[in-house]
Amino acid sequence: MTHRRLWPWLRTLLGRGAIPVCLLVGLGWASAGSAAILSLTQAQAAVTVNGETNHRTLDLPYHWDHANPGQRGEAVFDFDFELAQAPDAVWGIYLPRLGNAYEIWLNGIVLQRNGDLQAYNGADYARVPRYITVGSGQFKTSNHIRVHIRADVGRRGGLAPLLIGPQDEVYPLYANDYRWRVTGSVAVAAFCFVVGLTALALWSTPAGPPQSGRMGRDPLYVFAALAQLALAVSVGDVLVENPPLPWPWWGMVQVVAVGLWGCSMALACMEIARWGLQPWAQSFRRWLTELMLVCPVMAWWALGSGQPMALTVWYGLFEATLLLFTAAFLWSALRQSHVEQRMVAVAAAINIGVAVRDLYVFRIDPAYGINTWLRYSSVLFGLALGYVVLLRFRATSVQLHDLLGTLASRVSKKEDALRETYAQLELLARQQERTAERGRILRNMHDGVGAHISSAMRQLQAGGVGPLAPGQDEVLLTLRDALDQLKLSIDSIHLTAGDITALLANLRYRLGPRFAAMGIELQWDVDLLPLCPGLDASAMSELQFMLFAALSNVLQHSQARVLRIEGHARDHMRIFVRVVDDGCGFDPQADQRQGLATMRERAASIGTHLHISSQPGKTVVEIQLDVESPGSA
Amino acid sequence: MWRVLIVEDDPQMREFFAGSVLRSPQLTLISSVATVADAKEWLDRATPGVDVLLTDLGLPDGSGLDVIRHARLRNPGCEALVISMFGDEDNVLASIEAGALGYIHKDAAPDDIANTILEMKAGASPISPMIARRVLSKYRSMQSNIALAHAVMAQPAIKNDPPDSERGLLSRREQEVLELISRGFSYSEIAELKSLSVHTIQTHIKSLYGKLEVHSKMEAVLEATRMGLLPRQSPASEKK
Repeated sequence: MTHRRLWPWLRTLLGRGAIPVCLLVGLGWASAGSAAILSLTQAQAAVTVNGETNHRTLDLPYHWDHANPGQRGEAVFDFDFELAQAPDAVWGIYLPRLGNAYEIWLNGIVLQRNGDLQAYNGADYARVPRYITVGSGQFKTSNHIRVHIRADVGRRGGLAPLLIGPQDEVYPLYANDYRWRVTGSVAVAAFCFVVGLTALALWSTPAGPPQSGRMGRDPLYVFAALAQLALAVSVGDVLVENPPLPWPWWGMVQVVAVGLWGCSMALACMEIARWGLQPWAQSFRRWLTELMLVCPVMAWWALGSGQPMALTVWYGLFEATLLLFTAAFLWSALRQSHVEQRMVAVAAAINIGVAVRDLYVFRIDPAYGINTWLRYSSVLFGLALGYVVLLRFRATSVQLHDLLGTLASRVSKKEDALRETYAQLELLARQQERTAERGRILRNMHDGVGAHISSAMRQLQAGGVGPLAPGQDEVLLTLRDALDQLKLSIDSIHLTAGDITALLANLRYRLGPRFAAMGIELQWDVDLLPLCPGLDASAMSELQFMLFAALSNVLQHSQARVLRIEGHARDHMRIFVRVVDDGCGFDPQADQRQGLATMRERAASIGTHLHISSQPGKTVVEIQLDVESPGSA
Repeated sequence: MWRVLIVEDDPQMREFFAGSVLRSPQLTLISSVATVADAKEWLDRATPGVDVLLTDLGLPDGSGLDVIRHARLRNPGCEALVISMFGDEDNVLASIEAGALGYIHKDAAPDDIANTILEMKAGASPISPMIARRVLSKYRSMQSNIALAHAVMAQPAIKNDPPDSERGLLSRREQEVLELISRGFSYSEIAELKSLSVHTIQTHIKSLYGKLEVHSKMEAVLEATRMGLLPRQSPASEKK
């Protein structure tokens, strides 16, 4: 029996103690504050391996794998101790670690039993600290405690020193240990699980522009997800007393999970540092792949074949690799100004330091009952990685949003262009329809009215050379007038809207021969007039009829010798078209001829001003049009 | 004496035009027929060839444009006038591009018909302001297409044949004359304005018509080449 007071801080930091730091702090304080807690660190043991039993005195902690590498077996630990007086209060026994299966007896009475002592590689109860409440009267002044354990290969079986004392002093030590080893592990596992699933969800949700041919799937997400999920499996193992796979398969799963965590972490760091295209990147990835491929083999060798050194060597290689990588990553992060890389680098460096410490205390140092620190330090890395993942996802989302905005803008522009094209097509189709309609009208006029008028004229002219019969010349004149009007109508189809110069030129062309035939001198004084955009085809036709009526009047009634056609623009604002003749004239007010009334109606309908002044020797028909807005003249 | 062939399906109209031709001592009517087939037959066997072709466009067995092309093919010296009811620009331009040098209205007086034929043979071609406007517009688009023609053909066939391409362009004088015609000025007024003779003006117009025909053929070749109906000439094929 040894009454241990306080373990040195240095030993604590190196992990040589039987319980974690916080527990040790608590124990030190408790030991310093109370002398009632007994620590049983020496036992009479009967260790049975391969059917051979050795009896000896052992110091605790007893680490089965260190004492019996590659062997399974059982051990019975007997503790005898004296108390000054039998306690009359409730006491407790705290066992930081024991197993893998066990039975605990006190003074011939079984206090607790977990697992089957004969079923090797079965359930594992060495994962959590144990506490047994001992009622008053159970402890005597002379006591005997027996702890019987079953230990499997590579499963951290054994027995840590027992702490015995009043419940109010011992239980807080147990509770503190439990909180760190179990509750803490559950929290860490849950955290890792959530971060891993989040990263996985982000990875499976394309949210960014194509990257390396894959739509928005940033490899960082999947590496982060793998690292965190692997860690969740590894840390959460503390709760799994009955693993889904038999030992050592389940042990191999755990080793692979650790390997996957480390490799994914390294690959995630490569993505953060954008080292994917570095010349050495491919080799490094290949090396990590090889480590992962070797991992289950080494795990089997250690856990299944009883060669723990194999796993120690693998862990050594693995951690050395990550150590070098982290050093390079840290160095790069310090030289870069990226906050995210620095943050992850610091977390990775802490993790690697902790991992080295864990490797030492778990694989090399014979300490037993202590806890891994990596599970806690890995939270730092998870937080950093989660932050980077969210940061990158947010940036990608913003990028995508911008892209969608640009895309929407482009689509909108394309739609506008398409609408414009459709409008142009419709316009073109309408123009084609109009052209076809014009063609049809033209053919009808040609084959119908035109042909009839032409035939009638030729019939009147039958014989060709002789003078016409009385009255026939007037009929011929009427027919010619009709044909001219028809020609003008057809011409008006082709007139450009608003082109008054063309309209006047065409009138001259059509009627010129008639004036010449009647001996009327035609004077042409027409400038190049500006276009009147508002004068559409219909208005052009009305204007043409007005001018035709004016000219026809000169031909038929004026007895003029000189006809002058003028076309001028004033300041490019107003156009003046005048038909001036030196004929007999008429009284525009008194004359109620149908032609004049129609002219006025046509002028009013297209909003032009019509001025007619007439006296013997000078008749002026003037039409005024506004260039911009003829309708408002 | 100019030998005249009339192609008109309306017997009365055909008779009228025949009478008008016969009235002129400078014109000889070699025949007046009603169909494209008859016209082609006459053109094929007429010896010596036809000097003047008067043809309607709407014929029972085809278009008068085919008769014009055939006549030009048989005898490039044959000059064609189209008998038109209205002298409307679409028909007149199509006729000019087929090789016609003008048109006669169906309602023209008999003396005018003979005069128009004789004036054409003397170098004049009638043109209306509307047609002048269309020709101007067409030439402007031709000018922009010349470069395209070179680009599409892109072969020495065109590059080495500047007269062909240059014939597609208006001279400045021709352009001025066309612009004034389109504004309604008569030949004599233009002659006065530009200090030219009326005959020179008429020659310009006839030259323009010739260019339209040539360019129409060029455009047809260009379009056919664009559509892949004709192979693009290569330097190698040029040498053969």
